Amino acid sequence: MPPMKLELRGITKRFGSLVANRDVNLTIEPGEIHCLLGENGAGKSTLMNVLFGMVSMNEGEVLVNDKLVVIKDPKDAVANGIGMVHQHFMLVPVFTVAENVVLGAEPVRPWPFLDRVGAAREIQEVSRRYGLDVDPHAVVENLPIGMQQRVEILKALDRDVEVLILDEPTAVLTPQEAEALFEIMRSLTAQGKSIVFITHKLKEVLAIADRITVMRLGEVVATTTPQETTESALAALMVGRAVNLLVDKAPATPHDVVLAVDDVYVDDDRGLTSVKGLSLSVRAGEILAIAGVQGNGQTELVEALTGLRSVTRGSISIRGRDVANRSVRSVLDAGVGHVPEDRQRNGLVLSMSVDDNLVLDLQHDSRFSRFGMRNLRAIHENGSRRLEEFDIRAAASSVLVSTLSGGNQQKVVVARELSRDLHLLICSQPTRGLDVGSIEYVHREIVRNRDAGVAVLVISSELDEVTALADRIAVMFGGRLMGIVPPTTSREQLGLMMAGSDHGLAAAGVAG
Amino acid sequence: MTISEERETGGEHDSSPGTHDQSALLRVAIRVRDANILKVTALAFVVGLAFGALLIILTTPTLLRSWGGLFSHPGGTIALNAKTIWGDYELLFCGGVFDPRAVWAAIQHSNDANWTNALGPLSSTLTYATPLILAGLGLAVGFRTNLFDIGGQGQLIGGALGATYVGFTVHGSAVALVALEILAGMAGGLLIAAIPAVLKAITGAHEVITTMMMNYVTLSLLGYLVLHTPFARPGQLQGESKSIVPAGQLPKLFGWISSSLQVNAGFIIALVAVVAVAWFLNRSTLGFELQMVGANPDAARTAGVSSRRVIIIALCIAGALVGLAGMAQVSGIDVYLSPGYGGTIGFDAIVVALLGRNKPLGVLFAALLFGALDSGGHYMQIYSSTNIDYSLALVIQAVIVFCVATPALMVALFRLRASATMQAALASGGWAK
Repeated sequence: MPPMKLELRGITKRFGSLVANRDVNLTIEPGEIHCLLGENGAGKSTLMNVLFGMVSMNEGEVLVNDKLVVIKDPKDAVANGIGMVHQHFMLVPVFTVAENVVLGAEPVRPWPFLDRVGAAREIQEVSRRYGLDVDPHAVVENLPIGMQQRVEILKALDRDVEVLILDEPTAVLTPQEAEALFEIMRSLTAQGKSIVFITHKLKEVLAIADRITVMRLGEVVATTTPQETTESALAALMVGRAVNLLVDKAPATPHDVVLAVDDVYVDDDRGLTSVKGLSLSVRAGEILAIAGVQGNGQTELVEALTGLRSVTRGSISIRGRDVANRSVRSVLDAGVGHVPEDRQRNGLVLSMSVDDNLVLDLQHDSRFSRFGMRNLRAIHENGSRRLEEFDIRAAASSVLVSTLSGGNQQKVVVARELSRDLHLLICSQPTRGLDVGSIEYVHREIVRNRDAGVAVLVISSELDEVTALADRIAVMFGGRLMGIVPPTTSREQLGLMMAGSDHGLAAAGVAG
Repeated sequence: MTISEERETGGEHDSSPGTHDQSALLRVAIRVRDANILKVTALAFVVGLAFGALLIILTTPTLLRSWGGLFSHPGGTIALNAKTIWGDYELLFCGGVFDPRAVWAAIQHSNDANWTNALGPLSSTLTYATPLILAGLGLAVGFRTNLFDIGGQGQLIGGALGATYVGFTVHGSAVALVALEILAGMAGGLLIAAIPAVLKAITGAHEVITTMMMNYVTLSLLGYLVLHTPFARPGQLQGESKSIVPAGQLPKLFGWISSSLQVNAGFIIALVAVVAVAWFLNRSTLGFELQMVGANPDAARTAGVSSRRVIIIALCIAGALVGLAGMAQVSGIDVYLSPGYGGTIGFDAIVVALLGRNKPLGVLFAALLFGALDSGGHYMQIYSSTNIDYSLALVIQAVIVFCVATPALMVALFRLRASATMQAALASGGWAK
């Protein structure tokens, strides 16, 4: 298929009385990387789902090479040369790469037997052509996320698509994996394919885009190029007002040690030691941020700190009280707030109301219950108040929390944890998947608590977040602490430390 | 529609300016959704009756033959079929709810015999419904905690054993005796449920397997006990327990009119249980914890809820309520136990809980519907001119449950105008749960 030009004209999509897309025009030129930028809820994914035939549009038309096409379902989209890699991968975990790629268009020779050898050869050929290095015989569930994403891309390429839609592809990737993805994207466009890259990360947009379209409230507000714009200009376009990308904070005034971790060992689910003799301490009034590529023991460390996972060796104490291997409840009662890494899995009960979710771990608090009886009025009043205080956008505090956008769901979790009587706040990936406006807000709240004398431990795989928030940065690699460095440490040095190189540590001028 | 898109549109909804309109929209969406649950259940009932009508035609030779003359005299064929089906369903209603003629007769000539006729169907319906309400409530508590307790049969037997034992050994005032039987019944059901509960909490053994196995264990235990001391009534080769003493039997609600009106204080116990379970689930912290564990065990754990504790408590409460059903049945109706006691009540209760969507009031109405169909079915079998069998009522029950369990089928079948409201609900992401 020759390079193709894709044009969307006057796309309008309504859900009931809500307009998700209003009269959107968008042209994808052959061989370009077109970034679609916008906050959560700006209508980016809806637009692409319309284009990919997952959702039917109310008005508008799609043109391929200036010819009108009808796209009723994803099959039509693929037939017209449009492919999509979803945020949540659609792979069969127990199948091999080759099986996943050919699934739905299996080569059968002789009929009806699957031609595994041919399939593998075909995939090797495609992956070589575009520089995607994947073993066709590997089983998908054993592959890291970055590799799984390549399989999704291969799936699209194997069906000869010319326009590839990537829905927030870097949200799940480490910086290194993201860089590798960008390489692949460049090699694809070099061969005439075009890419629609959906994101809300400004740095990536400026690094990779040929053209940028910014959406807000379902409408296109600007189309520009990286040369013509800046990070703050893009942020202002997305949010509709000027945004402060840096965190305003005074230097920390640390007091007593609140959290002391001494030589702690933790096993993961498979019984492998994933935290190996880690020691650190966090003082009241300071933010210690743990940087590191995901999967280097951070998750297990946080679970051990919060009582969700047992410690095989070492001690954890909060304000002098030993809490290692104690129940979650006793850790929470010691004055710990915990914003979990995966808010939908661990932080919220989606089928319950915002009111209820705001008291999930406060149900025994005397404000909300007495003699085992829930005080529904107090719970509702608390909900309404938090809604206002934390600017949670919901029709009412009695609606189901699942009706809220991702950013507002995260605000519910943060609001709840901050309404505890806090000595220590543990935030895992506090702004993952959030839009610029919400990130700004959550960061401000974290700093406000630090200034109020709370000890804060932030775990984040976003270097920007780590450097913006931290008073001290601890870098984890392979379950160990590589070292603790000041927030002024350069990204390069941090990157080296995150990759486990001692050079980074030496360059940062800190001894082990 | 993908998750990410739901979220996307949800966000849209948040950031648009007309907050007032949205709350109104959301309220309407929620109301229509609730109305739809009733609508779907009502339509399921209609489908059940239609299916039953088909069955009546197919199993009645005269009706089946009449269709041969459909073209020569269509009016007569239709009229004959309609008349027969109407007649059977009239009997179903008269036997399940009330017979207007009997009620009218009782009002005109008020005497005990007439009132017995008038109240008979209702009494019979409530009698059938009583154990279903109690056991349905118990299982619903388990289901809300995401524990699929299918050990209703065993727990019911456990409760009946406890109550019966107290009923024939203890002597005392009626009030004290019944109170003791209630406690013993709940304890009996609880004990049977506690074994799978502890196994699940400590070893992770799946409750579907263990509760089901407990059914066999208790069933055999019952068979053994009714043949041996202290339970066995001497001289009964088939096995039969001693009877609960008269003071220990639940008083009949209309006993002053006629002793054949079976409905007893067990129904009152069931109503109290409905209120108690509703309060427990909606107002108590423990009930809230149960539902947290049921809806998202990971979030519950992160919030400091011990799922082990909750699993044990939930299954024990479920067992106690089902045990109470066994107590109500034996103390109110049967008075003594025999092998296989309780029949299919323990399994029917699963369906009742499902039909009632695990909500206390829902369970109450579902049990009443099942009770009415049971009672009406028996009545129909006796008085029908077409030799229709009681099983027709069971078929109707089954079809109703089948339809309720597949709402998508109902939407398609009746082309429910769900599209607009469903879209609104989808846009707000609130339909699925």
